[in-house]
Amino acid sequence: MSVIDRFGGVVGTLSSDSRSRREFVEGVLFSLPYLIIFAVFLLYPLLMGGYMSLFDWNAIAPAESVFLGLENYATLLNDSQFWNALGNTFYFALLTVPSIVVVGLGLALGVNRDIRGQGFLRAIFFSPYILTVSVTALVWIDMYSTQYGVLNHYLGMVMANPPQWLQSRLFAMPAIAMTTVWWLVGFSFVILLAARQSVPTYLYEAAKLDGAGTWRQFRDVTVPQMRHAIFFVVVINLIWAFQVYGQPYIMTSGGPSQTTETLVMYLYQAAFNQRNFGYAAAIGYVLTGILVAVSIANYYLLGGDNE
Amino acid sequence: MSKTTTSRFASFDVGGITARSALVHIAMYGAAFLFVVPYIYMISTSFMTQQDAVAQGMNWIPDPVTIGSYVQLFAGSQIIQWSINTLIISSVTTLLVLLVDSMIAFSLTRLEWPGQRYILALIIASFMVPGFVNIIPLYLVVSDLGLLNNYLAVILPFAAGPLGVFLLAQFFRDIPYELQEAAQLDGFSNFRIYTRMILPLSKSILTALALFIFVWSWNQFLWPLIVLQSEAAYTLPIGVVVLQDNFTYQPALTMASAVVASGPLFILFLLLQEQLMTAVEMQGVT
Repeated sequence: MSVIDRFGGVVGTLSSDSRSRREFVEGVLFSLPYLIIFAVFLLYPLLMGGYMSLFDWNAIAPAESVFLGLENYATLLNDSQFWNALGNTFYFALLTVPSIVVVGLGLALGVNRDIRGQGFLRAIFFSPYILTVSVTALVWIDMYSTQYGVLNHYLGMVMANPPQWLQSRLFAMPAIAMTTVWWLVGFSFVILLAARQSVPTYLYEAAKLDGAGTWRQFRDVTVPQMRHAIFFVVVINLIWAFQVYGQPYIMTSGGPSQTTETLVMYLYQAAFNQRNFGYAAAIGYVLTGILVAVSIANYYLLGGDNE
Repeated sequence: MSKTTTSRFASFDVGGITARSALVHIAMYGAAFLFVVPYIYMISTSFMTQQDAVAQGMNWIPDPVTIGSYVQLFAGSQIIQWSINTLIISSVTTLLVLLVDSMIAFSLTRLEWPGQRYILALIIASFMVPGFVNIIPLYLVVSDLGLLNNYLAVILPFAAGPLGVFLLAQFFRDIPYELQEAAQLDGFSNFRIYTRMILPLSKSILTALALFIFVWSWNQFLWPLIVLQSEAAYTLPIGVVVLQDNFTYQPALTMASAVVASGPLFILFLLLQEQLMTAVEMQGVT
């Protein structure tokens, strides 16, 4: 500590320097465990994926991979199976996201009213969300079954030829979407209910004094006050919808005639059936691009609202 | 819920339930009934004999009630092993996430060091890359590390997720800094501030986060399917699908496996539903 003695006047500064050095070391030490996991299992694969997508990737001897530039992406443009999977994924999102938001909002507003058994209803509507995708899918496969399913048993009473659900090109995707709404709506429902409950009551009282009816209150108070929650719910469901895999994989294996094959299923197939890792990585990057676009659009929509 | 109680009394004062309120009750309980149908189907079918389960029509109450499918399931499959695997994976993941996420959140919000801002920005930006859109490079990383068929291959990528860091950082930031300064004057080290002050004050959010992580990791499907390659290492969500492939047209057995696979989470849900829903609400708020 002779340095400190010699410059007696700056002892304070020096000791606070050493304190901030200690804080730096501690800060890094506290962060390190997560940062290592984050770097190895999230950041590196993310960058690696972009790199791989430029190659005909050789998984056994990466050094012998052939550089292709953007050829994988060019191939995607002419790959009808990719466009089919992309289209199916959009179709799935179109079927599920609006339904989940509308049903979730309806249930939230209903439960928020002066209703008996509020906690009980809340638990019921949320509960499917804690199920794993495979249990959900298995139960619904059996309910859709044309031989012993409960759904067509009752539909058969009112219509002559109830749909063949999962075997039908027309109904397979809507059937998967219906299952998904049941499974996931609870998450959005809880968020929308919480948002509804934090809308100040005086706004409704003021609206009533102005003579606003139920519909006007909904349009001019409820929806604007809940817009952040609604945006959040839309975006998170879009993100989930674009990554859909488990339900179609288990319920239909992408059939009939690939009408329910989704982007992640196609990616999986390209990688693990055809061992075409570079191509699969390109599909992953396109998917990442779509999701980032959704997130950024949301960010600006929300930001615009804040101003 | 005292607000609800008082307004319910108020509506009694006016002379009972109005037509609109009756309609809302019918709609909500009708919806609740539809929500419950799959559960009733699952549980009821699991107690049926094989013949009853595939019979035309629908008997909601099994007659006779039999536990034959459960006996067959436990004797003839590795479902107990899968349950243990799933429990190990979910528990370790949850503990690991709580530990490393709370440590870095502490470091980013309660300590001061250069560069922390960039790191937080990087973690938050990684929110935009949800789930496993990059499963291919991740698979190669895991395979290069020799982790295929190892539980760590499921645990570590899950623990890399930014959600916990983000939620905890938000929460830690709101703890008054005066408390920390007072503790520092008393000679508390930063490690002691973390273990004795910040963690105890954050019990509620740590519980909610733990529940959420536990349920999520219990329910993972695609990633464990890719990296767990031997049947003995499977988790329940994968195992029940494999079983279903073997038991096609044996709905009683399939439904029994579904009951076993979701049972533990349902018990957890019944015990701790408030905390679980709080965790969901927090995601909506942030």
